Amino acid sequence: MIVERVLRGNAEAFGVLVERYRDRYARYALHMLGNREDAEEALQDAFTRAYRSLSRCDDPERFGAWLFRILVNRCRTVGARRGRRAKTFVSDETALLSASEDHPAEQGAWREEIDRALQRLRPEQREAFLLKYVEELGYDEMSRLTGVGVSALKMRVMRACDRLRELLSEVHSA
Amino acid sequence: MRDEDNVKIRDVARALREPVRIDASFNERVMRVVRDLPKHSRLSFWRRWSMPRTITVRPLAASLVAASLALFALVGLWHVSDDLDRAAKPIAKAIFPPKAAPPQHVQFVLVAPDAKKVAVVGDFNGWDPSHSAYQAQHRGGGVWSVTAPVPLGHHRYSFVVDDSLWVADPTAPRVVDNDFGTANSAIVVEEQR
Repeated sequence: MIVERVLRGNAEAFGVLVERYRDRYARYALHMLGNREDAEEALQDAFTRAYRSLSRCDDPERFGAWLFRILVNRCRTVGARRGRRAKTFVSDETALLSASEDHPAEQGAWREEIDRALQRLRPEQREAFLLKYVEELGYDEMSRLTGVGVSALKMRVMRACDRLRELLSEVHSA
Repeated sequence: MRDEDNVKIRDVARALREPVRIDASFNERVMRVVRDLPKHSRLSFWRRWSMPRTITVRPLAASLVAASLALFALVGLWHVSDDLDRAAKPIAKAIFPPKAAPPQHVQFVLVAPDAKKVAVVGDFNGWDPSHSAYQAQHRGGGVWSVTAPVPLGHHRYSFVVDDSLWVADPTAPRVVDNDFGTANSAIVVEEQR
């Protein structure tokens, strides 16, 4: 068992865990933070924090879920810091709209529209939407993960969906 | 072309679920940080005992360990059984008192030609001269006798003649009764084989 090997002093065994969860959790970090640099920072931070706290991982069999909880928290922190550092492109709605006008019918452009619309959601709505629709978690698990009540999470997901529909419809109607 | 008034959330989600690739150099960056951190040197006591693991055992070593344990268990059991036996005896005796041996029938004889009534009293009948089982019968010639049950052990007893005269058994050893200062007889009743 890899977690046990790491706890017994084999630090190199942790590389197996990094390889196993890297791409899977990079997706969440990238969608949550909107750019690769911040996503990799949050992901690296999550892995190193997980390594340091590994002895507190109650159930090594569920290391992945435990790591994901750390990542969700790191994304919140990195996102908040980024918000203080500078307003990203998502605050500039005009730029967003114009940027997606060039090739709205192309698949790549559609995907960009989705990414941009996603980044225009409020962070807590984006988080709830990603956990529900992309990571496909149940509300109970989302609640355990985020510490937010199920009712509040449902509300956030609903508002996120409404907002996404609105934003993506705007792009197409522009 | 999607209907702009009906953007399907599931299409959005499907697009977002597409895999994301991170450069493999990411692993090295993480591991560089990890290598600089203190290694985990040991498991906590609880984790050491609760974490599942695979144990490899040599058959010879396992046999020796098993034999040692068996020997240890046998010796321990032998000692423990002695201790337990000693400890358990009083408890067992309290819970399951041994079945009392049945009293033995003892014949008491007194020659009292002038007596009208003779009874045997003792610690075995509460020194009660009216106890029906201990009333002697006149057998003729002044001989009174009764065969009555007496529990095993040491006892003191006496004859009571005509409800008033206490007479020790002339054929038995005498002891002094501390309560009244009168002489009583002593008897040891043993189980008949």
